[in-house]
Amino acid sequence: MTIRGLRILPPLAIARLGSSPEPLENYDVRVAENDPPGFRKIHGAETLVVDRHSGTIRRSYTPKSIRFKDRQGRVRPVAPFLEVWADVDGALVPLTAALLAKNKLTIDDVEWRAQVGNHKAFRRTGKAPDRIDADTGWFRGHRPHPLAGQCENFLDGKSIPFGDVQFIRPSRRFPEIRLRFTPPKGLIYGAVARHRKADVADIVYDSSRGTWSGYSDDDAVPPLIVTNPSSIYANTGDDRTTSRGYLDDECDGIVEVRIVTSRKKPLQAFARIGAGPPDFAPDSFPVRTIADDLEQALLGPDPKDDEVSSAWTEEIIRRAFETVRLQNTAALNGNPLEGGVANSMASQDAGLGRAEEPIMAPAIVDSLALQALHQSVFAALRSGSAPWFGQVLRQYDDVGDLTDRGRRRMPAMMRGSDGLHLALTRRQRNAVLGSGNQQATSEDARAVTFTAPTTPPGKETE
Amino acid sequence: MRPSYSRYLAPQPARRSLQKAAAGPAKPSLPCELSWHDYAVFLLHVASEVEHALMVQYLYAAYSLGGAAVAGIKHEDARHWREVILGIAKEEMGHLITVQNILRLIGGPLHLEREDYPFRSDFYPFNFVLEPATKDSLTKYVVAEAPEDWLKTKEAEPIVERASKADKGRAILPVGALYGKLIDLFSDRAALTADDFRTDTAPYQANWDEWGRGYGDGQRGNMGLESPRTTPHLLVMRTTDRHSVLDALHSIAKQGEAPTLDTGKKDPDEKSHFERFKKIYEAFPDRNPPSRNIPTNPTTEQPREDEPKKHGTLACAHITNPRSLLWAHLFNVRYRKLLFTLKHAFHVRAGDATDRPTARGNLIAWTFGEMYNLRSIAGILVTLPLQEGGGDERAAPPFEVAYTLALPDFDSDKWRVQRDLIQASARLITEIDGIGIDEPHREYLRALRDHDRHELEVVETLLTAMEEQEANA
Repeated sequence: MTIRGLRILPPLAIARLGSSPEPLENYDVRVAENDPPGFRKIHGAETLVVDRHSGTIRRSYTPKSIRFKDRQGRVRPVAPFLEVWADVDGALVPLTAALLAKNKLTIDDVEWRAQVGNHKAFRRTGKAPDRIDADTGWFRGHRPHPLAGQCENFLDGKSIPFGDVQFIRPSRRFPEIRLRFTPPKGLIYGAVARHRKADVADIVYDSSRGTWSGYSDDDAVPPLIVTNPSSIYANTGDDRTTSRGYLDDECDGIVEVRIVTSRKKPLQAFARIGAGPPDFAPDSFPVRTIADDLEQALLGPDPKDDEVSSAWTEEIIRRAFETVRLQNTAALNGNPLEGGVANSMASQDAGLGRAEEPIMAPAIVDSLALQALHQSVFAALRSGSAPWFGQVLRQYDDVGDLTDRGRRRMPAMMRGSDGLHLALTRRQRNAVLGSGNQQATSEDARAVTFTAPTTPPGKETE
Repeated sequence: MRPSYSRYLAPQPARRSLQKAAAGPAKPSLPCELSWHDYAVFLLHVASEVEHALMVQYLYAAYSLGGAAVAGIKHEDARHWREVILGIAKEEMGHLITVQNILRLIGGPLHLEREDYPFRSDFYPFNFVLEPATKDSLTKYVVAEAPEDWLKTKEAEPIVERASKADKGRAILPVGALYGKLIDLFSDRAALTADDFRTDTAPYQANWDEWGRGYGDGQRGNMGLESPRTTPHLLVMRTTDRHSVLDALHSIAKQGEAPTLDTGKKDPDEKSHFERFKKIYEAFPDRNPPSRNIPTNPTTEQPREDEPKKHGTLACAHITNPRSLLWAHLFNVRYRKLLFTLKHAFHVRAGDATDRPTARGNLIAWTFGEMYNLRSIAGILVTLPLQEGGGDERAAPPFEVAYTLALPDFDSDKWRVQRDLIQASARLITEIDGIGIDEPHREYLRALRDHDRHELEVVETLLTAMEEQEANA
């Protein structure tokens, strides 16, 4: 039972901001059996209740329903747990007080450290004194350790709270070694001179020391496209998009655990944490997520034959119409609406020198019509039909194709992180193509598709 | 054939002699009850029926290919042939829509109806028959789509003869002749004058951006292992004047019916229907075709004791298995819904789409949705037994035409028909669900039912808006 190494699971935990003192309860999201194309159903899952003062888990329960806001209407934060697992003779097992004892160690030998930062201003100004960082230093014990975001260009004595971390005290019923990250409230902080009082929770930035307040992307030296689209920070609305010097309390960083033993090197592990905005559509998933990208990075762009399935394709289509359901697709298409044309891929393409015009024919992008179309595709897949739309999916290296044909590929009207048109991951696209081929060539293939004629390699050579 | 059609196609000796006496180039023969404009509408109706009938027969042939009985390399061939034929069927749909655009331009009524089998006229290429793909059936498709020059070649002789045999001894009529006649007629400025072309119909025609959904060659469909380069272009052509009509007719003829041999050679990726069918015919086995065991001319009609016995291609195969029968009825309802919705979309003006939900946008989306539904239900039908009591023969999509596809006069009533069709479908779905079905099929029915429920909400919204508009008019 010798501990050979440690892991923190999950290796990446994303907290969600919220100003309520009550963390959100745990839940699962499942497809509704009796309404397949409808909204996914949210089901309560085992939830641990922590006593903030002592750091112990008081109880666990499964909520019958989930409330995303408390009675005062404040958003309940998602505060993830990070569990320590031990490599024992090649197998990963939860690290517990008992396992520590078998290795002649105690809870007091376990040390933690969390470092997070918010570098939004630093990324733009390029000046190190604009970095906002918090570091708990190595600690033991079970009280909450605040993550106070410090910055050289802050007013004296000011910081931005980035939440806290707490080593949960193991108990007989909950013996596992775990840490909880409670994220900050989701507040806006201002700079001297340029803020509007109603916007900000506190004035922290000293405009006489730093340049973030009054900064413009136009001033970047050397002239760079800092972000695409540019000027995505709170600004005064003038032609230079002058920064108001606002900062938020989103952050990300690293949590480390270590156990000093008699061996030369301590046992240690790390995980990544981050705090982002609340999920305002928890029953819908985006068509491409960080999980899809991580999966591709881990497993490669080509799924194996036995990994490909119609269920995977169905999930991609489900996420497509869930995405459409949340969008004003007419506005995103660049249709002229009351008040003019919205900021969309249609207008952003114009920034790259293309004529500004709607992406699709204006009449066919009504959100309800697009939902109906996606649901029809979904229903057809449920009948066992092989997917026929793989070639319509944008390839990863066609994201900059601004022809009509290029812009109309799927997913349409959405921006990727590089500012160009969004594509599925190669792995997702290959899964759809693979599923089509698999079904089309299987003995029990449905006979029916409305596909265009095709030619197997070598068959059509004249 | 309906008398309303046949009497315009019957020999008219008196007029023929008059025309013979007249000087100048040969003109199309004008039936005595019609004006040239009227005759153009009539021929476009025939063209609509021909395109519609070909589309349905090609779909049926494609649906027949594949299945568990086909194995190994044959399966790959069957899959390839199925996709080629489905592609041709899709292009016939594009032709059908383009013909409706021409009807719109010259002020003729749209025409999406077709006769149930059997039918025949001097322009219909062969007797309508829903049959599995065989070497014999393929000869009919080859000859019907063949260019005139090829028909005179040595190579053509045995194929033409075999095709004729397959069509009960009747000579197959190439579709190109019909388009040739239409091209002659629309080229004749004395027959059709500028006054016959309306200049205000473009917003009521289908256009490529909406109906092609903006995709170029090969980007829709083409899911196999093949290169999308080899996929031909779907024709959805808007017409605004004589020139654009002739352009559309020439394009249809070139893509499918190929009036001369000089087609497609400069652009090998854009093969005509004739060339594609001929290639399949040449490779297709004489015996043991890679087809499912599905019948000829399946129907939801039940056999009557006093029914006279029919033979060969005129016979219908009654779908008597109760479960299959319900699916077949569901297929017919969705087939009707596809055609009705397509026609309905032609009656909603294309514009800036500031109304939400947009009537036109939804109708177009629903039309595509119904194509997917036909595919799905046909895919299920070909796995179900044809007859009560079992047996090896499988059911198949009947493609039975509804009693009417006419649109009601008032706009609100058009939406009522949409509601009727969703309700009829819902009843069948409930009935099928109630008799105990395989889980995959149940999942499809649930998805279809929920899709319809969402669609019904949109229909009700549009219906209410339309009723208010009519009340205030």
